[in-house]
Amino acid sequence: MGEYALLYILFAPFAGALGLIFVSNRQPTLVRGIAASAAFVSLVASLYIFYGYDPVQGGFQFVQKFAWSKELGIALYLGVDGIGTPLVLASSILLFAGIFVSWHIKDRAKEFYIWLLILAAATIGVFMSLDLFFLYFFYEMSVIPMYLLLGMWGSHTKKYLEMTDPEGLKQRDSVGFIFNFGSNSKEYAAMKLVLFLSAFAVAALMGILLIYKFSGLNTFDILVLREQANLMNIPVLGTTLDKIIWILVFFGFASIAPIWPLHSWSPVGHAAAPAATSMLHAGVLMKLGHFSIIRVAFEILPETTRELMPIAAVLCMFSIIYGGFVAFYAKDTKYVIGYSSSSHMGYVFLGMAALNYISLSGAVIYMFAHAMATGMLFAMAGWVYDQTHTRDIPSLGGLSNKMPFISGCFIVGCMASIGMPGTVNFVAEIMIVVGSWNKYPLQVIVAMLGIVLTLAYLFKMMRGLFYGPMNQKYSHAHDAVGTVDRLPLLMMITISIGFGIFPMHLYDVVRSGVDPLIARITHVVPVAETGKGFGVRGEATAAVRAPEVPLIVNGPSSLTPDPLRRSE
Amino acid sequence: MTFSLNLSLSDLLLLLPEIFLTCWLCVVITVDFVSPRLPKERLAYLSVGGLLATLGCLAWFDMNQVTGTLFGNMFVLDRMAIFFKIFILGSTILVILASIEYVDRFTLFRGEYYALVVMSALGMMFMASANDLLSVFVSLEFSTLGFYILVSYLRDDMASNEAGLKFFILGVFAAGLFAYGISLVYGETGKLVFSDMASAPATPGLIIGFLLIFAALGFKIGAVPFHSWIPDTYHGAPTPVTAFLSIAPKGAALAILLRIFIVALGTFKPTWIYLLVAVSIISMTYGNIVAIAQRNIKRLLAYSGIAQIGNVLIGLAAGTKMGNDAILFYLLAYLFANIGAFAVVIAVSQAIGRDEIEDYSGLGRRSPFLAFSMLLFLLSLAGVPPLAGFIGKLYIFIAAIKEGLYTLITVGLINIVISMYYYLIVVKKMYINEPVDPSPISISGSMKVVIYVGLAGTLLIGIYPQPFTDWVVAATLMFANFVAPAATVTPPSLLIGG
Repeated sequence: MGEYALLYILFAPFAGALGLIFVSNRQPTLVRGIAASAAFVSLVASLYIFYGYDPVQGGFQFVQKFAWSKELGIALYLGVDGIGTPLVLASSILLFAGIFVSWHIKDRAKEFYIWLLILAAATIGVFMSLDLFFLYFFYEMSVIPMYLLLGMWGSHTKKYLEMTDPEGLKQRDSVGFIFNFGSNSKEYAAMKLVLFLSAFAVAALMGILLIYKFSGLNTFDILVLREQANLMNIPVLGTTLDKIIWILVFFGFASIAPIWPLHSWSPVGHAAAPAATSMLHAGVLMKLGHFSIIRVAFEILPETTRELMPIAAVLCMFSIIYGGFVAFYAKDTKYVIGYSSSSHMGYVFLGMAALNYISLSGAVIYMFAHAMATGMLFAMAGWVYDQTHTRDIPSLGGLSNKMPFISGCFIVGCMASIGMPGTVNFVAEIMIVVGSWNKYPLQVIVAMLGIVLTLAYLFKMMRGLFYGPMNQKYSHAHDAVGTVDRLPLLMMITISIGFGIFPMHLYDVVRSGVDPLIARITHVVPVAETGKGFGVRGEATAAVRAPEVPLIVNGPSSLTPDPLRRSE
Repeated sequence: MTFSLNLSLSDLLLLLPEIFLTCWLCVVITVDFVSPRLPKERLAYLSVGGLLATLGCLAWFDMNQVTGTLFGNMFVLDRMAIFFKIFILGSTILVILASIEYVDRFTLFRGEYYALVVMSALGMMFMASANDLLSVFVSLEFSTLGFYILVSYLRDDMASNEAGLKFFILGVFAAGLFAYGISLVYGETGKLVFSDMASAPATPGLIIGFLLIFAALGFKIGAVPFHSWIPDTYHGAPTPVTAFLSIAPKGAALAILLRIFIVALGTFKPTWIYLLVAVSIISMTYGNIVAIAQRNIKRLLAYSGIAQIGNVLIGLAAGTKMGNDAILFYLLAYLFANIGAFAVVIAVSQAIGRDEIEDYSGLGRRSPFLAFSMLLFLLSLAGVPPLAGFIGKLYIFIAAIKEGLYTLITVGLINIVISMYYYLIVVKKMYINEPVDPSPISISGSMKVVIYVGLAGTLLIGIYPQPFTDWVVAATLMFANFVAPAATVTPPSLLIGG
């Protein structure tokens, strides 16, 4: 089964969604069973590729290629490198956890699981696409399920209910809907999310189309484009073409990341979404942005990346500070976690901007770590909301009496989010900080300030939710006692702490993906280690993995199109 | 121009689908007259049987590459003509299946309804094969004749009468423009067959003549600024007729536009590209922006259709073989999504009796199947992967970017986002709003067939487009000689691209 592992990961959720169509909502056990088993297949296969990935060999492994359209030069070309592997794993962990988090959903459970599975599968598809067309295909495909998940199973903010009026209901349709910024209804959040992300996605698509046109290779294959596309020094509109493409691709994908001025859809979306959707949304959907920038801009336009990446270094400061302060003053649990996510994504941009082996590896590990931490926090915020039907922090309090397990896990989640030693977040943060210090000391200081801010707002929220006097209105709230309810939290905690204590395999895998990329961008090869201690294994240094060597394992060479061959 | 009329039997083979359908049309009318008590449903199935047989015959032609010309090049049966005939017959069959229930609303002449639909389809089949200006004119009017009656079929309904009148007056006006255009073109060149005009010099008379012809065909496809009849006619016409009107005539008129622009005017591409770019940009933007304000689903689909035609014209503006392939592919995607969406509209209006978007509230609870189908059809129209519309749009954009039409693509991409807004408003009604009346909606068997075919097409083209791209690439092969070489288009594309 080894070579087909990526197909299992990608198509198991789709198959589950397809199977669910034929099941009735009157059999809730069967519905959940199908969803959970589809996610389980995906999870097992992801674990297999994560541990089966050979970091010494590096490059793209588990490659699958099927011709899809000859006229347009598109192939379903799947493969993971050291950057994609941990993100695929994170997606399938969060999908599996998300299905258990939403175990008690009553209203149209079948439809919920269908859209959740499609959302997760599309996300996973982006992480393993080696074809620009399919990268965009899965990217755009992941946006639409969000609309339905938010709209059908989401919740309104507190303020919205006060603003509702009979006239307002009508106004929120057609033209009036657009100008109705005041009401943060779930419909508004869903529409804003989809339109915002689609608007920037088409900018990225324009960039992709320009790459397609000016490479003149008649292919969307990333590996061919990065070796052969020559997009430099074509003058257009007073600048050069590669810069225009880079800007389109960077901001097109950075909107979902979300980088600072483009973040406004994200907290609104988080707040309106049901718990499992928020988990996937903050945990992996946001990483689509960073990942796609790495895959498209870094791989195909390395020179331009070196030139223009300081833009990200500037904007990431605003992300960190702005997100942190808003999170500190927010009174809604999900807004706090949502803004904290967009603040933490600033660290990833910092790690990417420094263009250094350590910092970029740190950024990739941070994506994985943040997926676990924010997944936990959203799962618990969702549990509290289910029990109390409010997300208003001032009205809550003292819940640790009623839910000791949840409050205990919440502490772990906060610690992970802050980056306590012992969690994988610490490993990632320290790498970003160390790696970026030489190039961007100011940003590193801001990032440290951001960690302090994180501490402040997460502790403030924890105190507001779980300690202090209890509101008697919520005395009926109860803890997560069933295995089904505890499993997802325990799983994410185990993974977060497990990789915090034993990060070596994760580190090796990530380094094997980051090294050739940074070598291409900076033309500096890492100092070869001798195979002992902290660093890349001796035999796996960049000298072996120079970009001239086709980085393909157990598949056809990237440069010889052989569309019908399946790697056996 | 002289031609002999000594047709051999093997020549008539090329006309076999039309001849057969004409006979079948007579059979349908005769059966209706002879046994007036026959349930009208049977007539529908009788018509569908005839259309299916014709479709099979055309499929056989396509597979065995039976092609040729008749009547001194007036009538051409090439693979593109076969493609468009299959397109028209497919949409006709689906429209007839979707109208079986609806026909009960007509007070009189229920049987003739099917005959008129088949008659219009026959006219459009001739349009797909028309290769000179005279046969274009005759077949265009022949097909429109049936539509004039069909649009005003709800004779007690003011809106339907208004729709018919509007369609008729503007349609006749367009026919006048067309005839005048033909006279100018013939006066300048002395030629009627498209391929003979290829080397004609660009005189003012010729340019004005072709502009008039373009206006008349623009009226048919509903491109801005010739769109003014579309919203009212779509709104007032019986919904199955609206569905028919929104698909088949557009396909047939695009066949003619392709022949005119690529075959007759291929050498003037640097000139007409501006016209097409302008019309395309205006159509997309106007259609999408005005659609936002619509409260009636039929009007919404009407404006969305205007915008879709703007998208198709991007492919025509590209003017390459790939652009033509993309148009044909896009039409296939549009066929399944649009017929499916209208089928859902018909099913809902059968149950509720109205077509306001407001009435779609809670459709997700009342009929999960209808709501889910509508969701997929609307998302396909919006161009969301993995549905057919996405591949269609991307195909057109790729064809256009190879020609350097950057402005056009930018506008097209922005319009995708605008269109997503109003399609999602309908989705919001169906899924997020709660129903006023929670009673479930029942769907008849024939309607289910139409929706299933629409779903299958929308998903299959989106997930595995290779067979369909192969088909459209083969269908436009004969244009390979006429397409202007890429080098000649560089100056305008640089200007437009900026």
